[in-house]
Amino acid sequence: MKVLVSITFGLAVLAGTVDGFAADDVVRPISQRFATESNETPDFRKHIVPLMSRLGCNGRACHGSFQGQGGFRLSLFGYDFKMDHENLTSGDEPRVNLDKPEDSLFIQKPTMVEIHEGGERYETDSWEHKVFLAWVKSGAKSITKETPEFVRLDVTPSEIIFDSEGQTEQMEVVAVWSDGSRENVTDLSRFQTNNDTVADISATGLVTANEPGDTHVVVFYDNGVVPIPVMRPVSKLVGTDYPQVQTPTEIDRLVVQKLRKMGVVPSDVANDTEFLRRVRLDMTGTLPTAAEVRAFLADPSPDKRARKIDELLESPAYAAWWTTRLCDITGNSDDQLNNVTPIRQAASQNWYDWIYKRVANNTPYDELATGIVMANSRDSDESFKEYCQEMSDIYYSKSDKSFADRESMPHYWARRNFRTAEDRAIGFAYTFLGLRIQCAQCHKHPFDQWTQDDFKAFTGFFTHTRFGQDPKSRDEYNEMMEKLGLDGLRGNDRRRKIQDLVKEGKVAPMQEVFTTAVQPLPKNNNPKRNQRNRNTASRTASVLGGEVVPLEKFDDPRQPLMDWLRTSENPYFARAFVNRVWAGYFNVGIVEPPDDMSLANPPSNAPLLDYLTEGFIASGFDMKWVHRTIANSETYQRSWKPNETNQFDETNFSHAIPRRIPAEVAVDAIALATASDDAVSKWNESLDGRAIAIPGAGRRSRGGNNYALTIFGRSIRESNCDCDRSMDASLLQTVFLQNDAELLGMIENRRGWLGQVARDLKLSLPGADVAKTKADKAKADRIRKNLARMRERVAELKKSGNDTAVRKLSDQMAGLRKQLARFTGQDDTDNASRADEKAAQANWDKIVDEAFLRTLSRLPTDEEQHRSREFVANADNSLDGIRDLLWALLNTKEFIVNH
Amino acid sequence: MAKHLNCDGLQRRDFLKAGVLGTTGLSLASYLRLAEAGEVRGNAPAKSAIFINLNGGPSHMDTFDLKPNAPDEYRGLFNPISTNAPGVEFCEHLPKLAKCADKFAVLRGVSHTLGAHQLGTEYVNTGNRPLPSLEFPGYGSVVTKQAKNLPNDLPSFVAVGNNTQQKAGYLGVRYAPLVTGSTPRPGAPYSVRGVSLSNGLTVNEVEKRTGLLRELYTTFAGYEKNNQLLDGLDRFSEQAHAMITSKRAREAFDISKESPAFAAPFGDEAFGMSCLLASRLVEAGVKFVSMSLGGWDTHQNNFDRLENNLLPTLDTGLAALFTGLAQKGLLDSTVVYVTGEFGRTPKLNNRSTPGGRDHYPRCMFMLMAGGGVKGGQVVGESDEKATQPLNDAITPDDVAASFYHALGIDHTHEYNTTTGRPVMIVREGTVIDQLFS
Repeated sequence: MKVLVSITFGLAVLAGTVDGFAADDVVRPISQRFATESNETPDFRKHIVPLMSRLGCNGRACHGSFQGQGGFRLSLFGYDFKMDHENLTSGDEPRVNLDKPEDSLFIQKPTMVEIHEGGERYETDSWEHKVFLAWVKSGAKSITKETPEFVRLDVTPSEIIFDSEGQTEQMEVVAVWSDGSRENVTDLSRFQTNNDTVADISATGLVTANEPGDTHVVVFYDNGVVPIPVMRPVSKLVGTDYPQVQTPTEIDRLVVQKLRKMGVVPSDVANDTEFLRRVRLDMTGTLPTAAEVRAFLADPSPDKRARKIDELLESPAYAAWWTTRLCDITGNSDDQLNNVTPIRQAASQNWYDWIYKRVANNTPYDELATGIVMANSRDSDESFKEYCQEMSDIYYSKSDKSFADRESMPHYWARRNFRTAEDRAIGFAYTFLGLRIQCAQCHKHPFDQWTQDDFKAFTGFFTHTRFGQDPKSRDEYNEMMEKLGLDGLRGNDRRRKIQDLVKEGKVAPMQEVFTTAVQPLPKNNNPKRNQRNRNTASRTASVLGGEVVPLEKFDDPRQPLMDWLRTSENPYFARAFVNRVWAGYFNVGIVEPPDDMSLANPPSNAPLLDYLTEGFIASGFDMKWVHRTIANSETYQRSWKPNETNQFDETNFSHAIPRRIPAEVAVDAIALATASDDAVSKWNESLDGRAIAIPGAGRRSRGGNNYALTIFGRSIRESNCDCDRSMDASLLQTVFLQNDAELLGMIENRRGWLGQVARDLKLSLPGADVAKTKADKAKADRIRKNLARMRERVAELKKSGNDTAVRKLSDQMAGLRKQLARFTGQDDTDNASRADEKAAQANWDKIVDEAFLRTLSRLPTDEEQHRSREFVANADNSLDGIRDLLWALLNTKEFIVNH
Repeated sequence: MAKHLNCDGLQRRDFLKAGVLGTTGLSLASYLRLAEAGEVRGNAPAKSAIFINLNGGPSHMDTFDLKPNAPDEYRGLFNPISTNAPGVEFCEHLPKLAKCADKFAVLRGVSHTLGAHQLGTEYVNTGNRPLPSLEFPGYGSVVTKQAKNLPNDLPSFVAVGNNTQQKAGYLGVRYAPLVTGSTPRPGAPYSVRGVSLSNGLTVNEVEKRTGLLRELYTTFAGYEKNNQLLDGLDRFSEQAHAMITSKRAREAFDISKESPAFAAPFGDEAFGMSCLLASRLVEAGVKFVSMSLGGWDTHQNNFDRLENNLLPTLDTGLAALFTGLAQKGLLDSTVVYVTGEFGRTPKLNNRSTPGGRDHYPRCMFMLMAGGGVKGGQVVGESDEKATQPLNDAITPDDVAASFYHALGIDHTHEYNTTTGRPVMIVREGTVIDQLFS
């Protein structure tokens, strides 16, 4: 077993005050200090609240419930010291009895002297008992101004590597306070394992090794949250026994550095067709065309993968697909944008177009974000009238002006689920920080350092921007409304009328997102007069983990927030982006789920995430740099085929993880696989009709009622979660692929590939039977069966060399075909039919190839080629055979899975 | 498969799962069984459910909550008739329902505050007041999630028609309904999205192409146990094939298999046919069927539309459904819930002559039958002009809690949403005991 020495985990940055204290100044554990009677006075914050947390008193099922439990409530997960102290010491039935400390309910109940629904939490005369009693005896004091601030936790060991099951390791936790004091708080900390199949951790911090693998155990104390990596190698191939693995890029080096510790050997690099299909799907949300696969295979140059990556990054499909992903995380949904623009669904289209332009031009991500974070509807120095003129022009169907050319994208702020400051704080943290701070709206975040105070301070940035009518231009607005006869109209009625006017080319008044600067307080400040203003708009705010900022110093109160995002020290902004992009290429993020970058959910490979984050910032927030760097790594290009050591790895990037293709990509892939060559040739130039170009989500949007997109889990863009997009497989998806009329219709579409094959080979389309009656159909079926039998016979006779019999049978078959033609409308005479069939057979190989390329983006193996050809040749109607082949290929796992 | 942290410390099984899947065989199937271990009580009377959404918001005063003595500008044109339940009166244009009033309970004075179609619809389809930041799952998704031993060759949750307000919400696509795409019509073959064989296919042809599929299905062979997706796709592929080729599924959707004597009372309209289909589906073992009847947004020509169109349609279909379920002995094991998104203004407007009625969530009616619900009773009461509940209001949450109760599902059971937030199935409701006594 190897245990690395201590590394310090800085949390709140208040360092400097602790210098001069040596490690041996650490106060020994409270359980030792209170093993016998002690004169020490326990501290409410340092000892009492953490001990109650550890005993589970403030959990959700117990007194942490918002209704309390048994008439006693504690703040959920602690940290509201004032409320907790009040509830302990006051109320109808105080839990603390200063006169008779031993009779205190909060001592009698958990020791079951009094009935306690929560059962016995500690024994009488245990150290816990003594600590609580000593605190009550000392007067049950709360925190004071003198109570030092929590600085950080020092946890040892900083990493655990086990080598066999059942091995143990004891954690030791030291809390550092702002007065420089250090205390061993192992007994007062809570512990959690992130994967109990790899390691367990006991309530006292003893870690026990289970199966091979890697995870973290997490230590909680006060608002310190420290994850400690725990590993048990999967094989003996560690250290010097690890095989030589090429690491041509920095990503590869950092990934293999972790794999080496784990005894995991990465898979080989995937072949060209696998690479092409994967990079196409991940980077452009699009299957490669058959022609593209052939060309790529034929290209002998060694740098063809890198060139392909560069080529794809310049394609409209790259911009469309990653615009879709950015629309996911920014929440572009028609349901949330009702009446935001006078033209229905214009807002979601504006949104898509605005982002698309920037992704296509590779505008630096921080600039793109600025256009959203700092958005106002009016461009700089634009008057209300100019704004209305410009927007009316944009929405006037005959205008060629584009919303995408405007400075910012304000609709983000006009969303229905982005109205209150709290909603905005939560939505913003989700979009730009990859954080779930919503927990801290009501209680201390259980897995991160955020408290309710942090949350409240953060919401301050979001209280000065509104959507509606800017009071400063009310007169102009009213004047316009009056002139146009819109007085008194509201909501939908107003929108409809304005839509009509705009479509006629008139200039109509527009609502807007606008921001009001914080005015300095007047000298003779009358608190009453400012009451209203104070309730709605904050004068100060602070970024998460940051200092309080007076907002009146800024023209736009959102400026300090944006400045914070752009600093290279920002721990979330760049990191959240690269992690999400990474997740788009590897099925899982380096932090997974990607929108939960809390302390208790650490990255699986921190140096890797650091490298990408720093590189992204150094590149000037160049989005394509991230894509290019990832896609060019061997790590990305590895085969899905696992080996003995990496077969169960899903998080350390040792092989490609087979994953279902996303909803829009699946819908487009089916369309491409079944489309005619003509349609396919236009596929890469235009986004017309593509699912990855549908702007908004929601019921109202184009595609909102698209059944396939719904069951394949297109993002609903509703709830500030990457999981709004579902990547699960479901029965309905499979039913859709096997038997939905929509899919079958696409396969058999006359203007699709099958129709084209039919025309080329002069075969009739399946289902083109003109047989009207049941009897006719039955007859046709009988003939088909006869034909099939005769075909088999012919094959046998050919083998035995009986040419006469073959000729005779063939003639009979021709007669039957003629009969069949009467039912099927197939226009074939004897000779023509035979000639066509022959020509067709010569083409079977090509057609089988084509079907494989269109669906699986590879050529068939000899075995597959043989079986498919046989199948088509043996079908009653060749085109039925080709149709069934295409159907079967669309239903292979290989089609719907990106691998 | 990454799991999410939740606010109460649910542990995640993510990161490297070395050896775990292989040695203990934690396949998707067993994972699902673990995940689905729900709160279904024993002895629950109802095994399946039918939810009927009356889109647009039906007028309560002109259907099941008449106020013949109210002033003219309120009472409307219709007169009450007595029913086979003593003391219970319905509108005169619901004669068939009046004859089987003993089979269902009427809830009056149900009340909420959401007067927009979409919000009201989301409310009554989930039993939870809509939140901007969370999409609640519809009843059907919850019921299928909680169910055990679902048949392999049948969809468990069917939404009849081409659109449904029953969404899977935060439960995810796995619990989404099979949307049939159309409603059955008498005398015409009924094509069900994904289940019926269309484009002239026969079972033989499906078997033939499936044979080819099996031959080509080899790419990941041997690696399924390493990857839950691959394993899951295999299972779904088999199940889909079973559903498409099984006689049971096809026959469940084939209403022409029903005896003419049984089918006749359902009439020949789409709604009645859907009711007939619903009865067949639950008989076959489908867990949850949802359907809708729209057109209730009678701002204008309220009385004409009700009398000549909406009420006869509703009367025929619903009465036949209640009676038919009882006839087949399915009413005890099937709970039926019928509701619009709100009631309509008690006071007539003057948009037409005679007047129409506008959106009115403060007072509405709902119907519930089967699954232990005592029929022939009225639960709740509205005031003399049907403007509000007379005593305590019944909320959509309470009715939802009762609906789940009839199915043996504890509505206070908590799920963790996708962001890890614990949420009760119905957050605010309480079971209405009177419905079951």
